[in-house]
Amino acid sequence: MTTPVDKAAARHANEAAIIALRPKGPPPRRGLPWGRFLHLFYCSLSYIFLLSPMIVVIGASLHGGEYYTAIKFPPDEPSFQWYWKIPGDQLRALGLSFLLAGATALGACVLGIPAALGIVRGKIPGKTFISTVFRAPLQIPAIVTGIAFLQMFYLVGDATGFYLQGTFWGLYMGHVFVATPYVVGTVTAILQRFDMRLEEAAFSLGANRWSTFRRVTLPVIKPGVYAGALYAFMVSFGDVPISIFLTAPGYVTYPIELFYGLENDFDPSILASASLVIFFCLIALLAMQKLVGLDTLLRSGSR
Amino acid sequence: MNTRWDLILLPSFVIIGILIVASQFIFLEGSFYKDLGLGRTGTDLQLTNYIRFFTDSFYLNTLWITVKTSGLATIFTLLLGFPVAYLIARMRSRWSMLLLAGIVVATFVTIVIKVFGLIIIFSADGLINKVLMGIGIVETPYTIIGNQTGVVVGLMHFTLGFGVLLLYSVIQTIPRSYEEAAQIHGASRWRMHYRVLLPLSLPGLTVGALMIFNMSMGAFTSAALLGGGRVFTLPVLIQRTVMMEVKYSMAGTLSAVLLVTVLLINLFSIILIRRLRSARLVIA
Repeated sequence: MTTPVDKAAARHANEAAIIALRPKGPPPRRGLPWGRFLHLFYCSLSYIFLLSPMIVVIGASLHGGEYYTAIKFPPDEPSFQWYWKIPGDQLRALGLSFLLAGATALGACVLGIPAALGIVRGKIPGKTFISTVFRAPLQIPAIVTGIAFLQMFYLVGDATGFYLQGTFWGLYMGHVFVATPYVVGTVTAILQRFDMRLEEAAFSLGANRWSTFRRVTLPVIKPGVYAGALYAFMVSFGDVPISIFLTAPGYVTYPIELFYGLENDFDPSILASASLVIFFCLIALLAMQKLVGLDTLLRSGSR
Repeated sequence: MNTRWDLILLPSFVIIGILIVASQFIFLEGSFYKDLGLGRTGTDLQLTNYIRFFTDSFYLNTLWITVKTSGLATIFTLLLGFPVAYLIARMRSRWSMLLLAGIVVATFVTIVIKVFGLIIIFSADGLINKVLMGIGIVETPYTIIGNQTGVVVGLMHFTLGFGVLLLYSVIQTIPRSYEEAAQIHGASRWRMHYRVLLPLSLPGLTVGALMIFNMSMGAFTSAALLGGGRVFTLPVLIQRTVMMEVKYSMAGTLSAVLLVTVLLINLFSIILIRRLRSARLVIA
């Protein structure tokens, strides 16, 4: 027969056992239940902040009204009218920008790939110094690079009679200068994880130096090269602070054309061409995703 | 296999080296000639331009505004960018690729286009003002064009994409298991972030902050367009000094001051971080 007192004692013993079995320390806290929601909300605000200007530009480019009320978002009566009215100046500027950016990507690879190979593999003293030199163009404020190149071109011009400012090659030098560090960075990142034995194997199997490079090394560093080339292309394609000094009236890149367009009065056709550029960037990105994957682009891209 | 990799490096090194030394030397030397305006300069090396810079409150104020707007832009970019980078880096679904793509596109599109969008958004009859005036918060249209807020917002648009990408790669190097371990041992989400994630990502965070700051200090486009000719940062002033006043050596002086300021701030931060790290105040 159990008394109430016995019952209470049994309950006590039970509880004591449960407490003893509990893990020591405070119970795991999972954080606020809405913590994750708050995080997502915060991130969507960041995205709105980041993407809204581009969405607004695309939206406003579809406006179908009169000229003077043309900068309007959301657009009233969607039409593509401004896309057909992009003036020749802007198209020429776009053409120059594409050409320049493509050539810059190529030039940056030509300078950057050997540099990366040398930095990672060369047995040279002062490696830190050398890689600092290759990174220096990014450390120098872009506007300083612009004015420094302009003055250098003046001086070279005074001495030799060849004035490079306002010419393609002048612009090209400036752009390659700032774009090369990106290729050096991406290729270096890939090379540091590269298994040298692959090359040794190819070499011992009778491949000569060039075919080892072409058939073994190059395929391995390819993602880094693509990523670096894309960075170089985009840096050149969007550059203002260097180009603004090195272009001449009538011979400008697209961002400079846009810049002057915005400083003075703007023609709504700028919206249309700007939207085209945004779409181009999107397509370039998708191509890169197919080619090497975005992850490679990022992992190797950030030095 | 004894390929001379060091020789392969040589041509690029010489080209980049010459470009750096030649361009930097020429404008630095030029900055010591007294500027007589309209492209004419004195013939002997003097400190006139520098003395003018450091005695003229307009120039000093410009330097201060440049550092201030860049600093603010760096802080806000990190605040806005870190949670996004963390979200993407820790996401397990395919959505992360889409989110990343959004960031990369925003990075690649030239800042001029983004500033264009900002101008439309903040124009007198733009989205923001319609909403603000609709609810009656403001009477007259609010604008960011021509004030320092605008410059900071413009700088953030310039750096945020890069910042997120950089922080993303930093966070990816921190194993997820560290965070799980902290949580299993009873750390709350906040505590885990504060005691585990933050110290581990601090070195990367510092590098990122410096990169963003450097970019902002040299940023010309957003400051020029959103400053609207009323807010002057050093890059804007440099461009105006060359293009409008044709004062090359004064512009050289301004550039030299900008360059040295950037390098000094970088140097000090690196030394500071080393000190903190060796004093074990920063775990990393």
